[in-house]
Amino acid sequence: MPATFTFGEMLSARSVIGTTLAELGDEHPNLYVLTPDIGATLVEFRDAFPDRFIDVGLAEQACVGIASGLAYDGNIPVVSGMLPFLSMRALEQVRTDVCYPNLPVKIIGTHGGLVGNGGSTHYAVEDLTLMGALTNMTVTSIGDPAMVGEVLRQSMTMEGPIYIRLAVGKKDKVLYEPGEHELRIGKGIIARQGTDATIFTHGTTVAQALDAADQLASEGHSVRVVDMWTLKPIDEQLILSSAAETGGRFVVLEDHLAYGGLATRIADVVADNGVHLTGFERLGIPQVYAGFGEDEQLRDKHGYGLADTVAALRRVISAQH
Amino acid sequence: MERTPLTATEERHSVEELEDLAFELREKLLHLCGTYEGAVHIGGDLSAADILTALFEYGMNVDPADLANPERDRFVLSKGHAAVCMYIAMAIRGFLSYDDIVATYGQLDSAYGMHPCKVQLPGVEASTGSLGHGLPIAVGMALGARGRNDEHRVFCLLGDGETGEGSVWEAVMAARSNKLGNLVAFVDRNRQLMTSFAEERVVFEPYPDKWRAFGWNVIEIDGHDMSQIVAALDGLPASDSDTPTVIVAETVKGKGVDFMERNLAWHAGSLGAADLERALTALNASRVKETV
Repeated sequence: MPATFTFGEMLSARSVIGTTLAELGDEHPNLYVLTPDIGATLVEFRDAFPDRFIDVGLAEQACVGIASGLAYDGNIPVVSGMLPFLSMRALEQVRTDVCYPNLPVKIIGTHGGLVGNGGSTHYAVEDLTLMGALTNMTVTSIGDPAMVGEVLRQSMTMEGPIYIRLAVGKKDKVLYEPGEHELRIGKGIIARQGTDATIFTHGTTVAQALDAADQLASEGHSVRVVDMWTLKPIDEQLILSSAAETGGRFVVLEDHLAYGGLATRIADVVADNGVHLTGFERLGIPQVYAGFGEDEQLRDKHGYGLADTVAALRRVISAQH
Repeated sequence: MERTPLTATEERHSVEELEDLAFELREKLLHLCGTYEGAVHIGGDLSAADILTALFEYGMNVDPADLANPERDRFVLSKGHAAVCMYIAMAIRGFLSYDDIVATYGQLDSAYGMHPCKVQLPGVEASTGSLGHGLPIAVGMALGARGRNDEHRVFCLLGDGETGEGSVWEAVMAARSNKLGNLVAFVDRNRQLMTSFAEERVVFEPYPDKWRAFGWNVIEIDGHDMSQIVAALDGLPASDSDTPTVIVAETVKGKGVDFMERNLAWHAGSLGAADLERALTALNASRVKETV
């Protein structure tokens, strides 16, 4: 991991994965890294520990099954690849081979959301619903590339499995200064304090939420931005305190299907706790196969770009009790 | 490769003794099937009875008194629906109590159900049941052993029907690519799926050649001839060799009970008291016939 970086700079989450795993490989002689032919991210680990780097080729199901066998045998396996395939083709292996026996397998990958020009075969937009449904699975989505290393590091001592979702991972905005926030799996981050409304988000759209909050600030509104980077277990307390402290005005923004992801999880917490909200809007991908285009164009086209986010915040802020 | 058995004082069983133990396993299977009112996968249990007896009583280096011994051989039941056969084979070997199995099987809070669960029954090595999952898990265990230069073997029992799952062949390639000579797969080749005879619906043949084409060491045996099973286990290449081995064992679904043999109705079922007597009589008759 680079020693220094600056807020707003771009950093490759992929390089963070590789360098962090290489460091962890030294500390944990039982750490294995597996990939179904998506090893470019992992060269640092591969070169340092060739005997603990397993590239199975195009075989996601066996990749997860083999990781399970390694974990049964007392090892710490990390499976890294493209999430559309790890979360769907290997879903049953993740559920049956990893989650059922509650093994410490880490699944980390790129291409969460509408990341670029791949088309719908290459977009992981259902993954948070699917992974979130699995008993024992911890589900995360990380936007700040510098966080990736710390989360991987924390995950080494976890008993059960974890899913770590990244965007494309090539150029990600640094969101936080080192040490600015305490990172704890299961706890959200208040990225910006505010009192008029809360926008909850995760992953690559945190940067967009911060931009939207800046626009609202220039209009005299104070918007809280919560980076809910752990979706499961969800930080229930932070949701409830945000409802109380920001007038019950919520917008949820995510690069995922609008139903089944973070918005659904927050709605569950709200309903289970009998909280009455003043306003609730969810911004995400509607039930469509999204087509081609750049990330930003696709978000605009499907109603969850920056302008839509600002508009949604204005609506909830003006909503009456 | 000769290794010190975990139970060093125990002499290895003769073929005749193993045959007796396999008979005992079948009897116990039928008794469970006669007392439990729900379905037992009796057809595929009976086809695997000789293989599992040979593994737990002869081929595998295991110690029921020391479940977590790192030197133990590992066993993954990929055909998870044969869980009852495995439970009872393990009970006869001393891992589990047959009385407990019979008394609680399939009941609320029992450790024993239709497919094995590692969390509920720590004595088994892996949770399985969904077909096509066991061999990848076994590959992972074999890789782990290699990583520590351990000499133990990892055994895996598959049904031939489940080798219709693509994940099996992914694992077959991974095992060869990673030179896992410490991995031994058995295929219980009973040639029956749940609702059809295999070659009617799915062409598996030339079956052993498919494994050979993937670079495995292939041994073909009669899976009900104990001397052949023992010979195959005795003839395994050293666990530090490069080539994984598959033992393709020709078997009969329902083996030992004439009205169950090669009968699609007996993939799974339960026996009432009258049918239990009939089944035990048939089992005894088959034994007499074979020993004559």
